Amino acid sequence: MNQETFRYDNRIVRAFAIATVVWGLVGFLAGLLIACQLFLPELNLNLQYTTFGRLRPLHTNAVIFAFVGNGLFMGIYYSLQRLCKARMFSDGLGWFHFWGWQAILVAAAITLPLGLTTSKEYAELEWPVDIAIAVVWVAFTVNLLGTILRRREKHLYVAIWFYIATAVTVALLHIGNSLAVPAGLFKSYPIYAGVQDALVQWWYGHNAVAFFLTTPYLGLMYYFLPKAAERPVFSYRLSIIHFWGLIFIYIWAGPHHLLYSALPDWAQSLGMVFSVMLVAPSWGGMLNGLLTLRGAWDRVRQDPMLKFMVVALTAYGMATLEGPLLSIKSVNALSHYTDWTVAHVHTGALGWNGFFTFSMLYWLIPRLYRTPLHSNRLADWHFWVALLGMMFYAVPMYWSGVTQGLMWKQFTADGFLQYPQFLETVLQLFPMYRLRAIGGTLYIVGAFLMAYNLWKTARTGSFEADSEVVVAVKPPPAGTPGSAPGKPPWGHRWLEARPLTLTVLALLAVLVGGLVEIVPMYLVKENVPTIAGVRPYTPLEVMGRDLYIREGCVGCHSQMVRPFRSETERYGEYSKAGEFVFDHPFLWGSKRTGPDLHRIGGKYPDAWHFNHMENPRSTSPGSMMPRYPWLLDQKIDTAAVGPRIAALRSVGVPYPAGYEKQAVADLGKQAAGIVTSLKTARIETPPDREIIALIAYLQRLGTDIKASSPAGQATASIQP
Amino acid sequence: MIRNVLTHTGGIAVYGIVSVCLFFAVFAAAVVWTLVQRASHVRHMGRLPLDDGEIGPFAPSAPKNHEPGS
Repeated sequence: MNQETFRYDNRIVRAFAIATVVWGLVGFLAGLLIACQLFLPELNLNLQYTTFGRLRPLHTNAVIFAFVGNGLFMGIYYSLQRLCKARMFSDGLGWFHFWGWQAILVAAAITLPLGLTTSKEYAELEWPVDIAIAVVWVAFTVNLLGTILRRREKHLYVAIWFYIATAVTVALLHIGNSLAVPAGLFKSYPIYAGVQDALVQWWYGHNAVAFFLTTPYLGLMYYFLPKAAERPVFSYRLSIIHFWGLIFIYIWAGPHHLLYSALPDWAQSLGMVFSVMLVAPSWGGMLNGLLTLRGAWDRVRQDPMLKFMVVALTAYGMATLEGPLLSIKSVNALSHYTDWTVAHVHTGALGWNGFFTFSMLYWLIPRLYRTPLHSNRLADWHFWVALLGMMFYAVPMYWSGVTQGLMWKQFTADGFLQYPQFLETVLQLFPMYRLRAIGGTLYIVGAFLMAYNLWKTARTGSFEADSEVVVAVKPPPAGTPGSAPGKPPWGHRWLEARPLTLTVLALLAVLVGGLVEIVPMYLVKENVPTIAGVRPYTPLEVMGRDLYIREGCVGCHSQMVRPFRSETERYGEYSKAGEFVFDHPFLWGSKRTGPDLHRIGGKYPDAWHFNHMENPRSTSPGSMMPRYPWLLDQKIDTAAVGPRIAALRSVGVPYPAGYEKQAVADLGKQAAGIVTSLKTARIETPPDREIIALIAYLQRLGTDIKASSPAGQATASIQP
Repeated sequence: MIRNVLTHTGGIAVYGIVSVCLFFAVFAAAVVWTLVQRASHVRHMGRLPLDDGEIGPFAPSAPKNHEPGS
């Protein structure tokens, strides 16, 4: 048996750790600001860059990709080297990955407040940033697989399988969902439309949760929990079933985000069934983690790292029980579009990802700096303050969600909606929103305590840039390739020594679900019945729709009337799949902070929309919607009309060849009509203002199925 | 031709049944696969995170960093 000496690289781990803390604070503060805007809309300071619609994606991106992203890279770079008994494959690739990822996050922090967004949840960044993400992710994957191939430990520990599944699947999801045709430097239209776009987006969106927020953290759990508890995982066999069960099932569950929507019923049912089945592997993993602490529970009282870990696993268990329950159609009918979803998401984000990341940081920083933690007492304070903050966040949001869901559906004894004004249901929620802000503040106070504690720890210790290691290199056991003849290994043991085979099998496991759901949606014509009256948007409506996207209206307004009497009474005819065939991207939304807008077209006069956008409280007293006065001043970017029409044609919208030359003139004609209509209400505005385009789009929404729609007649002229 | 076949496929509800059967097969295979593992190998794999070969007074697995009162 020979001995080998080499060094683990700790510098890259420290860099990701610092980024995790800094971006975490940014993401949490952005969340608190927009949470407060819901009961105090003036907090956007009347600036377009700080409105809820633009900052909400900044908050979600900062928390998911910046805080959790840097956290998972920190954990992977630390544990992978030690599990492979090898330094990372390439220090250079590691630093390219680190700085590339930070540059992407800075680009997100700049472009999202500017309104440069695709509007697709958790995939809002525009195409140049998408390309950068793909390049940096490939660098990470090469570094990961390169390290695995150069390992000194023959068998791949279960944590590494989770890392491999993460790297491969995130690449697949990101590329699949980001396919778009550019219409400018920071503007693009997805190649998918309507129902297909919705299915691809939630195949991505759901699995971003699965393969960015869950699988890498489960891998980290299988490494850091045994390390902290100083005992092996409760059942290694269970971890194998956990891995294959989880990655196979997770990918199918995306359609549960689209229950009772215009998505065909078979896809909804498939999503529901697989979502319910997800309980099994999820709880298998959670119990495997908690049972690892058997015989070590006394240490949970003393060790802050283990405290955070136990709450993280408990929150994971709660979220993964609740998720499948919310995927049952009858439960989803009440919960969807309400704050219940927000509560569910934050149980996972604050509890599972947040507490787990804090746990890793409390464990890693003292070890990287070769010194005990500055203050266990301060870490205890962080724990209790953050736990209290989480309770103050989640409980009001559950209350709010159930309250509003029930109010939307409440009928009087005479068969009328008891709360026909949507605003009535919103005004009930303000106390809950204030309590939620208190919870968020507590959570952030805890995070600042941690940042101080870790900073003091680093100041008192001395950083070990490279950890020297001596490992015994064993001769290959009998039966492995190149060894003496004997009984060859078989079963999973055989696979654990073959990382590339394992990668291919993991890819196949995640591909099956995606293909079975998405391919028929594309090719089987009966999925999207044609509606003759549905026409492409006019150039003015296209520009208005892009403003709707820029302002992030989809963050608060759905465009999907579900087939419930409570919804058809409130909004009008339920939404049909065929109505969205020209919607690149789909804008169905996933939250109704304001009412659904799919049937808003023709419901109010143009002047109502003008006044409402200028000051929502002038038409809807008590509304929490921010003012949009800049839409009244800023001019429509007519230079962008041509490229956008051309880009939309290339993704399948049937504008006649050369129509872009005529498009600006058509835009002017339609705008003049709206200006005339506004004059009747004594509103004087030039026809080239953004508000005109937005009014045109809103008045078009959901009107195609009404034969007498003036918008329908206007668009008929641009049919090929 | 493949596109033509798929375009005219009826009864797409069968996808649900096929999918569940497929999952059951994968799940059953994973269970069998794990049950036939040798106990000594399972023990070895479970202990991998605990042995990273590091040396020195502040090796990552050194417990004294988190002793109470430290």
